[in-house]
Amino acid sequence: MKVLVSITALCLALALPLAAHHAFGGEFDPDRPILLKGKVVKVEWVNPHTWIHVEVTKPDGAKEVWMIEGGSPNSLLRHGVTRDSLPLGTEIVVDGYQARDHSLRRANGRNLTYPDGRKLLLGSSAPEAQNDPDPPKQK
Amino acid sequence: MRTRLAVVAGLMAIPFSTFAQPRLPDGHPDLQGTYDLATLTPLERPAGTKAVLTPEEAAKLEKDAAGQRAKSNEAISGDRSAPPKGGDGSTGPAGGVGGYNNFWLDPGSRYTVVDGQIRASIIVDPPDGRAPPLNAAARKRMLALLARPTSDAQESRDVGLEPAGSYDNPEQRPLGERCLLGFGSTSGPPALPDYFYNNLHQIVQTRDSVMILTEMVHDARIVRMNAEHLPKTIRRWMGDSVGHWEGDTLVVDTTNFNDQTRFRGSTENLHVVERFSRIDAKTLLYRFTVEDPATWDRPWSGEYAWPATNEPIYEYACHEANYALEDILRGARTREAEAAEKTRK
Repeated sequence: MKVLVSITALCLALALPLAAHHAFGGEFDPDRPILLKGKVVKVEWVNPHTWIHVEVTKPDGAKEVWMIEGGSPNSLLRHGVTRDSLPLGTEIVVDGYQARDHSLRRANGRNLTYPDGRKLLLGSSAPEAQNDPDPPKQK
Repeated sequence: MRTRLAVVAGLMAIPFSTFAQPRLPDGHPDLQGTYDLATLTPLERPAGTKAVLTPEEAAKLEKDAAGQRAKSNEAISGDRSAPPKGGDGSTGPAGGVGGYNNFWLDPGSRYTVVDGQIRASIIVDPPDGRAPPLNAAARKRMLALLARPTSDAQESRDVGLEPAGSYDNPEQRPLGERCLLGFGSTSGPPALPDYFYNNLHQIVQTRDSVMILTEMVHDARIVRMNAEHLPKTIRRWMGDSVGHWEGDTLVVDTTNFNDQTRFRGSTENLHVVERFSRIDAKTLLYRFTVEDPATWDRPWSGEYAWPATNEPIYEYACHEANYALEDILRGARTREAEAAEKTRK
């Protein structure tokens, strides 16, 4: 069942338009697909592209931080997103491809979702954070 | 009779409007404000379509666009797998690796309306709504310069299609990727919609100067009013813009481009004439004509509405986190090292 769901999700993901602005094909390696599950430890709301830093725990227990490339933050700000919309500690799931220089733990955020699969940052706040009785504070 | 005809013709030439033209103390129209250029109307008309959409056609296209957007924002599985090795099959800007989610984008939701017509393209001349083909001289030049993307080049192509040398150094990368000018002629002139995001422009006006700020990459163009063009030896990224008033229309004439801006393959001798006027209290009409005999065999023109917005325009600070350019160049060095390793074996 899990396999079936994944395949369906993959087909959906392939069918939907995904956007990029600069040479994503030059920046990221099609032979290095990644799936990351971890918590947000830093967000750079900057141009030309937002970078979300995610701390993941590897199978051996070691932690490492990945930087995920998104789009420009300007339009999101106009849609009500603020620096508090993605609080530190928020658990997210990222699929994408690693940078061609594999010494960099950087990847594109081909899909950025919460653990239940909802896309990030739609609407003006992250519901998980509101539901969390003790949400992590922005540093 | 002749007089009456002339009067009637004169009245017909004046567009019907009920708004009071806002004016500055010098008597000229006050065009100041922030405008959102986002529109679904493409620069060029899709082949086989009409110049003007019916309200029903426009409504369907706008509904389809909204539907696609809603669909792309739908949840997917949180328990999904990594995308396929070898690339996800995406083409164009996404370069086989898929880019990023649509929720970042703000591409516009309506078709532009000019003279009461819902327009299928921004280009209105030639009448087919498409830019004239590059002439022989321009094609020859483009081939020779293929390894130097233009300011308005698609910021990415599939890696396999990039010409050799495209990644040799930062100078070879498109101007947008280097944060020098906005992507896709957003800065202009001519100023075009991005069809992606950050389509806001701000106009600030004094008696002697008009400033046009483009949010994308934060380009500010200063139009000097009633001035002569600079000597031809002085070249600028966005050209040298001088303006004057023709009635209530601001006419901006731009020459003196440098040889790297190259709007759709043009030379530094590109000549752009823009006309800014008011459609109503909250909308500007933007018209432009471009000519460069070394690139096109005829001038061509476009027009679209600039609706005012109350949304703030944000600073861009594009260099601040342009990790992508670093990653792109490091990626090229990685591929070179891999190729050298293969040769050695």
